Amino acid sequence: MIEELLQSSPGWANFAIFFLLGAVLLLIVLGFVTYGILAERKVLGYMQLRHGPNQVGGKWGLLQTVADVLKLLLKEDIIPKAADKPLFIIAPMIAFAPSFMVLATMPFTDKFQFADIGVGLLYYIAVSGLTVFGMVLGGWASNNKYALLGGMRAAAQMISYEIPLVMSVLGVILLTGSLNLNEIVTHQEHGWFILLQPIGFIVFFIASIAELNRTPFDLPESENELVAGYHVEYSGFRWAFFMLAEYVYLFAMSALITVVFLGGWLAPFSFLNFIPGAVWFALKFSVVVFIYIWIRATLPRFRADRLMEFGWKVLLPIALANIFLTALLKSLFF
Amino acid sequence: MTFSGEFLAFMGLALVALIGGVLLLNLTKVVHMVVALIFTFVAIAGIYVLLSAEFVASVQVLIYSGAITIIMLFGIMLTKHDDENEPKTGKLRKLLVFLGILGFAFAVYIGIYNFNVEQEQTALHENNTMQIGKALYSKYIIPFELTSVLLLAALVGSIILAKNEKKEADDE
Repeated sequence: MIEELLQSSPGWANFAIFFLLGAVLLLIVLGFVTYGILAERKVLGYMQLRHGPNQVGGKWGLLQTVADVLKLLLKEDIIPKAADKPLFIIAPMIAFAPSFMVLATMPFTDKFQFADIGVGLLYYIAVSGLTVFGMVLGGWASNNKYALLGGMRAAAQMISYEIPLVMSVLGVILLTGSLNLNEIVTHQEHGWFILLQPIGFIVFFIASIAELNRTPFDLPESENELVAGYHVEYSGFRWAFFMLAEYVYLFAMSALITVVFLGGWLAPFSFLNFIPGAVWFALKFSVVVFIYIWIRATLPRFRADRLMEFGWKVLLPIALANIFLTALLKSLFF
Repeated sequence: MTFSGEFLAFMGLALVALIGGVLLLNLTKVVHMVVALIFTFVAIAGIYVLLSAEFVASVQVLIYSGAITIIMLFGIMLTKHDDENEPKTGKLRKLLVFLGILGFAFAVYIGIYNFNVEQEQTALHENNTMQIGKALYSKYIIPFELTSVLLLAALVGSIILAKNEKKEADDE
């Protein structure tokens, strides 16, 4: 359907359709973010032997996040006097926009995809790298030493971990022979890439946690050394945008792992094919999100100097060795 | 002229790229200039997409907007960044520059207006990632390898420089 729309002649009707589709996707993502945050708080709570939110919206706290967002919207918008005002305003937008843009190439099912471009995987990695500007600029514009330190850490960490992230999916790309996410999924009909590329998967998963700035890699916003990192000075809606970007990335990264390593919308066994692809995608996606939350609940934070060493001296060589091994296996057996 | 969606997209992207470039020259704070530069780089990547060069567009975003500008930002933030631009120059110079720009624009206009590009059917837009890979590893293998040696030398050089500094710091 999208293909036809892209090739039809432009007009207001066309614009309206695209706008509507975009708005629907945004609403889906916002729904995920709302309940993703609640799920995170609930799971963290149970893992720490407490209940988590259980007051607003019934026993399960179903309206807790809605209330929180409402509070953020009503909060006074504060821009510090010494801040660099235009940058301070534009930084949350720069942080959020790429996080939503990366979803455009994500094949949720074989029919529900917005743009089927040839370099989907590369597009994701390239565009997601733009978010770090929002964090660095936000940290710098705040004119606050903690914010600046947080922004610097964010930049250093995301640039360093982008390299193992790219190197670890190269194995998948070698086996598929394509950067297109659809082809990567259809290539997994006879075995998910998590089975064919276990080393690549582990490296990718660790690097993705670092890219998402989640514990154990949450140094850019580590609250007990940097207060809150790059968004110390932000409050209200602007702060909500940084948080939104973070959780939209959680959505996008979980979707990407599902697509690249867990076979996307494909059923694990062929006799289960009667269950629609969307259900499989949602199941795998939820498992990945749960594992992210689980890791957050159980692992302590990295030390700043160890972080760089780990990225460059452990993850990168392993990822390179994985490429070598994959190339060898491919030329021998495939 | 047909008013197609491609034309609209091109106009939008070109405008962003140009405005980014002009702002880069006219803003006074260095960090703001880098932000303008990011917009220009991303808009140029968009134009590559319009030309069906998806791979080049992604690499443009990854390398130029991603890596290079971050390094520039680091450089600016970690050094003295409070410097404002020097005061503007005199009126005569401004006038001369304006005349120069007019002349240049006129020359380019004349050059481009009747410039006939022969339209040729190519298959460059299909699978362009694979085509780039094939060209790099068959036709252009020697320049490619030379570039990698150059980059390796730069990498080794930067490591040696960084190590020396550490040694001196230890000696003190």
